[in-house]
Formats: sequence, structure tokens, C-alpha cells
Amino acid sequence: MTTNRKSLFASLVGSISLASTICLSLSSCGTQSPEKPPCCQTIKSGVPISDQSLYQLDSRWTSDQGREIQLGHLRGQPQVIAMVFTSCEFACPVIVNDMKRIAAALPRDVQSKVNFTLISFDHERDTPEKLRVFRQRMQLPMAGWTLLRGEADDVRELAALLGVNYRKDARGQYAHSNILTVLSPNGEMVHQQMGLNQSPDESVKQLLHLLQP
Amino acid sequence: MSPRLFILALVVMASRTVSGVDSPAAPAAPAGMVVVPAGDYRPLFVLPNEPKTVPVARFALDKFPVTNGEFLEFVRANPRWRRSAMKRIFADQNYLKHWSGDLALGDSAGTNQPVVWVSWFAAKAFAQWKGKRLPTVAEWEYAANAGPRRVDGENDPEFQRALRHWYSTPAPAELPRVGAGLPNCFGLFDLHGLVWEWTSDFNSAIVTGDARGDTGLDRQLFCGAGSAGAKDTANFPAFMRYGFRSSLKAPYTVHNLGFRCAKDL
Repeated sequence: MTTNRKSLFASLVGSISLASTICLSLSSCGTQSPEKPPCCQTIKSGVPISDQSLYQLDSRWTSDQGREIQLGHLRGQPQVIAMVFTSCEFACPVIVNDMKRIAAALPRDVQSKVNFTLISFDHERDTPEKLRVFRQRMQLPMAGWTLLRGEADDVRELAALLGVNYRKDARGQYAHSNILTVLSPNGEMVHQQMGLNQSPDESVKQLLHLLQP
Repeated sequence: MSPRLFILALVVMASRTVSGVDSPAAPAAPAGMVVVPAGDYRPLFVLPNEPKTVPVARFALDKFPVTNGEFLEFVRANPRWRRSAMKRIFADQNYLKHWSGDLALGDSAGTNQPVVWVSWFAAKAFAQWKGKRLPTVAEWEYAANAGPRRVDGENDPEFQRALRHWYSTPAPAELPRVGAGLPNCFGLFDLHGLVWEWTSDFNSAIVTGDARGDTGLDRQLFCGAGSAGAKDTANFPAFMRYGFRSSLKAPYTVHNLGFRCAKDL
């Protein structure tokens, strides 16, 4: 039995949508409403997280407040997560704006139950201080918005999981995919919003579904 | 000997009479690795205003792809990377599917055959366990560009012909063992002609939905006229590798995708 390389190649190109199909399969785990904001929770080791959870990662990240966390610290609330870098001239402010549109489109009573997380590609220049400045510049409230930086390998790994491609160009800027990912409270990817200036509707729908009691 | 190995062998035997590039002295190469001297990699696609070459620093690269036997040692020592323990987010359901069990290779996976059906995460974890890392696309392509006779393999028509032959030939049902072919002028085996290999930044190709006006690049990648913007329109194997990498996701496992490790020097 042989397999033709060309057809393998074609089938792989064809299967690019596979990962997003997986992402769409909703977890059967129930939602839980946290008593404390994500930064102050401990990882509940008693309740195992699923095979599909991003919170399986053990990489360490630093927030703009200088706090060191693992992604599992975000557990407990649905997340909208995106990768950006703070010296980005065009796409990243638009990505942040798309996240704000999702936040604004959520009914009032659930707005505080969703967390928005931005993670930097730029492990060299984006220090916690730079992230803090970015938070101010983008007018992101302290509550409900988490800004993180990490080491090169960990950024690459997280991007690989989120299906985000990127590379640094000669000027030190990053060319990157524009993808927002909705995570369940247990860290499974349930939806991805691809591209810039997209309607927030589907993301909002997914978040509301995750927040159903 | 498979036809393509035979052709590569002919190419190399023919080269014996040509004065080739000597393998670089490699005093600092760790066991099983080869020192690849510093050089320049010419990416297949560059963004506007980007330099046409990327410098590659001197580094060490495994002489052979990682074998089933070596990977078995790894999973013995690291239970979380055993097939039955694998978290789906780190490898799809076909992870190590050619092995007969968690700690048994069985008849379909020879000790000296390159390990395949491994995800990027598994390859990366293996490399870390060895105190190594995966090579970057730039490092891998630079190392693999070297032919049997010269570092600039793209200027070696015979080598290019042999490569095109391999890249257009079906993979055999049973993979040959590693090191069955002949080394390139750095002393590296099997960069072509055996399996595809993971790189650390395989996800650096910019495709659909990306920032900063690269959508044109996306069209270049997947349309027939795509090669118009590329540096070397004859380098069909490089296009195939670029396309193959672009199509991968980190948890994917594939029947002819393995890896080898690199190390800083």
C-alpha cells in the first residue's frame, strides 16, 4: 500500500478546517460561576480538566500587574482570548476593538462574568510595563481584562494551540493571524472569530451558551 | 534499495570525482549531531521590504531523524507522553498508532525506522528531554538545501532532479531505516527521501485572515500563479514543504511526518 504525497498534501490542505470543527464541539462540562476574580482563584486540582483544555499547558506568564500565572488561573469564567503585540500599528487595535464590541454586546448582567485576555507575541519588547501602557492607551478596565506576556517558546506553543500563525519581520513587527478564541470556563476552545471587524454575534451567542446555568 | 535512494546514491557516487565542499570541522558537535556552519537561508516568500536572506547562526543538528527506538526510551521515561495517556490537545487520536502498545513497537515500527505519527508537542517534548530543541524553518531549510557536493544545493541540477523525483514518488508502505541513504555535505542524513520533519516555528507561514495586507500572499500560496512572487520558481520541493507546513496544526500526526533535534552551540 502506498500513499501519494500529493494527495496527502491536498488532503491536509483540505483538512485545515478540521481544527475549527473540533473547536466547535462543545464541552459537556458544566459551567461554574466563580466567587473570586480569576487572578485570585487557585487551580482546582480536584476537578480534572479535559483532554481538550488549554489549561493543560504548564507554561508561566506574567501579567501587566507583574503577577506570574499559569493559564489555568483563568479557569472558572468563559474567556475571549487573542494574541497581539503592543507596538502593532494596525491590526491589534482592531482586534482589541473587536473584543470590546463583544463585551459591549453582552447583556449587562453577564458582562462581569466573561474575561478578556490579551497575550503578546512580542516576548522581547512587551514587558509588563509596556502592557500596562497598552492597557491605558486602549482604555481597558482593570476588571475583566487580563494582559499577559511570556517567553518565546511558550508564545509559540500557545499560538500553535490557538491556530495562530505569526512571524517577526525585519523591522521587528509581527505578521500574524487575526483570531479571537472563545474558551469555556474549563479552557476548551468552543469558537473562533476569524479576521478583523467581524460581527460579535456568534461569539456573544457562544458566551451566553457557556453562561447558561 | 528504493528507486529514489538509488538515484541519490548515483548522484553522490558521481560526485566523488568532483571536488566537493568539505564537511566542516565539527569539534563541538554533541554525540549523534553534526555542526552546521553559519550561513544564509533564502526564504521562499518574503514580505515587501524584507531582506531576501535570513542569517542562520552556527548550530548542531541531529545526524538522523529520531527513531522509534529512541522515542520508546522517551515515553518509558515520560509516562504522560505514552499513547494511552496522551491529552488530545497535544496529539490527535492517531498518535503513535503504528506501535503495538504504549511501550511496545510491534511489527509495524522498527527500532531504527524514523518515528512518525508524532505531534509537534510530542516532538518538542522529546527534544526538551534530550536537552535539545526543534530546528527552526530557517535552520532546517538551510541545512537541507545543501546537496551532496555543495552547500548551495539549489545550484546543483542533479541534486534538484533527485529531490523532485523523491517529492513526486509515493512513500513506501514500509519506511526505510534512518541513515540508509547518503549524507549531504554537512554530514546530515535523510533530510530528503525519508520523512517530512517538524520544525519549531512551522506555524510561521502567514495564511488566510492575516495581518498587514498579507492576504495577497495567501493567494500566492494556493493558486496556480503562485510562484510568480517567489524567489525560485524551479524549487518545487520547497513549495511542497512550505505548503505542507502551512497545512499542519500542532496536534496533527501523520504517517510520514517525523522530526530531528537541533541544539545551540
